[in-house]
Amino acid sequence: MKTTWQRRPVFVAGLGLSHFDYLPDVPPTQYASKAILHALKDAEMEWQDIQAVFCGACYLGVAIGHKIIKEIGLTGIPIVNIENACSTGASALRLAFQEVAAEIYDVVLVVGVEKNPKGAIPSKAFLDWESQLGFNFQPGNYALETVKYMNRTGATEEDISLVTVKNRKNASLNPNARFQTPVTLEEVMRSRMVAPPLRLLHCCPLADGAAVTIICSQNKVKSLSRAVKVAAAVLRTATYKEEYVPGGIIGSSKFPATVNSAKASAREAYEMSGYGPEDIDVLQAYDTVSSSELWDIEELGFCREGEAFRLLREGAFDIDGKLPVNTDGGLMGRGHPMGATGLGQIIEVVTQLRGEAGPRQVKRARIGLAHAMGSGPNSTVTILSKE
Amino acid sequence: MADEKRKIPFYEGMWTTTSDGEARLLGSKCPSCGELFFPRRDDGICVRCQHEELENIEFGTQGRIMTFTSVMLPPAGGYYHGPVPFNFGLIDLDDGVRVESQIGGAFEKLKVGMKVKLFIETLYVDEEGNEVQAYLFQPIKE
Repeated sequence: MKTTWQRRPVFVAGLGLSHFDYLPDVPPTQYASKAILHALKDAEMEWQDIQAVFCGACYLGVAIGHKIIKEIGLTGIPIVNIENACSTGASALRLAFQEVAAEIYDVVLVVGVEKNPKGAIPSKAFLDWESQLGFNFQPGNYALETVKYMNRTGATEEDISLVTVKNRKNASLNPNARFQTPVTLEEVMRSRMVAPPLRLLHCCPLADGAAVTIICSQNKVKSLSRAVKVAAAVLRTATYKEEYVPGGIIGSSKFPATVNSAKASAREAYEMSGYGPEDIDVLQAYDTVSSSELWDIEELGFCREGEAFRLLREGAFDIDGKLPVNTDGGLMGRGHPMGATGLGQIIEVVTQLRGEAGPRQVKRARIGLAHAMGSGPNSTVTILSKE
Repeated sequence: MADEKRKIPFYEGMWTTTSDGEARLLGSKCPSCGELFFPRRDDGICVRCQHEELENIEFGTQGRIMTFTSVMLPPAGGYYHGPVPFNFGLIDLDDGVRVESQIGGAFEKLKVGMKVKLFIETLYVDEEGNEVQAYLFQPIKE
């Protein structure tokens, strides 16, 4: 693997984001193509500048990228469709990053798009017999992980509820978020029990939406002051029997896993970028459920296990805190269009580093990290810098 | 007896009933590294050490709750036909294998570390009147 100084620098030059919400009457090709045209304008580029496309989606069937590009204008360039569960968008960006770094292309378009089936989604990570026994219910699987986490760390239901309160407050400052209103601690703790200890407001809402980035080499960047460098783009999967119930993997009691894919992907991203957790000014952690944000912050190396909920109570993860986390509302407030989520996180980090986040702007943000974790399990870590 | 409902397993090959009427889960054991698997791996491959000739074994019936919850909304997708709410979680069998299972008993009384035993129960009655059965663990006294 080439280190940072061996490959040419890669930049995010353009961003396009649709509103994340249920969009039952709008075809995904429409909101995705609009987001692409927005990203082109943002990058000050023409459609003919795009040399390759990676398009990520989970529930949109065969060749969705081709269907979207057809709505803008076919130009004969390679289009590759990607599905990698919750890490889909970030996995697509990683491939674009590699192709630009390797000098195969100068300008690559990355699209993450989703239109979700309604209701709780039956995951594709489960076998038929598991589904027949009712195990294919993601809030339940995250509840099993949450019980383990609470037992290990002493975190309480109130602690995990405070994650929702923070993220919904951040979402209320983000016009693209699905939820535009904050919630109180009481509202979270009185919301409907789904799978104890998880309540409805501990679970992220699904959404439809599209997120788009234009990735390019330095010579193609029009506005260097707005371009953000991709310092690392890493994908790791689990080693033998790393227990991750939402990913359909039950651990081994005889041979427990010694590697954690989130930790391994973070370590690799820190090595690739030359940065460490202490350098990160803004973090997009993976809050599929409120409790997962807490263990995610710990596994990425920002504090020791069991410290995240105390830091949360001290305000460390607020927009004006020491390490702002999920400044756009996270999955909890922004909504979770599966194929678009990973890119949505990256777009928020880039927006923060550009200084264009308006009322939710983090002060002096120079380096940011986005982590997506999903079925597989996959773990993607993307580090972006403005130095 | 013609009017007796037929009992059928929800899935073939997951358990057997011994001559004394006790149910036992069916699994695989790797003769090379010793790892255990439930359910049985029909392909015979050990996914820990890649050995290709797993042995068939029957597991003991007791273990402890490692983590658990209760599902209060019906799972989507139309696969699940059992009652809601239902408890489920991970059980560490005394034999050294972790099993995902529904758990019987009142949710409020369940605890991590609690001793449980295997039972075969009716999950639901299908359209033809068959009792569709599944394995499940119930708390027992220490």
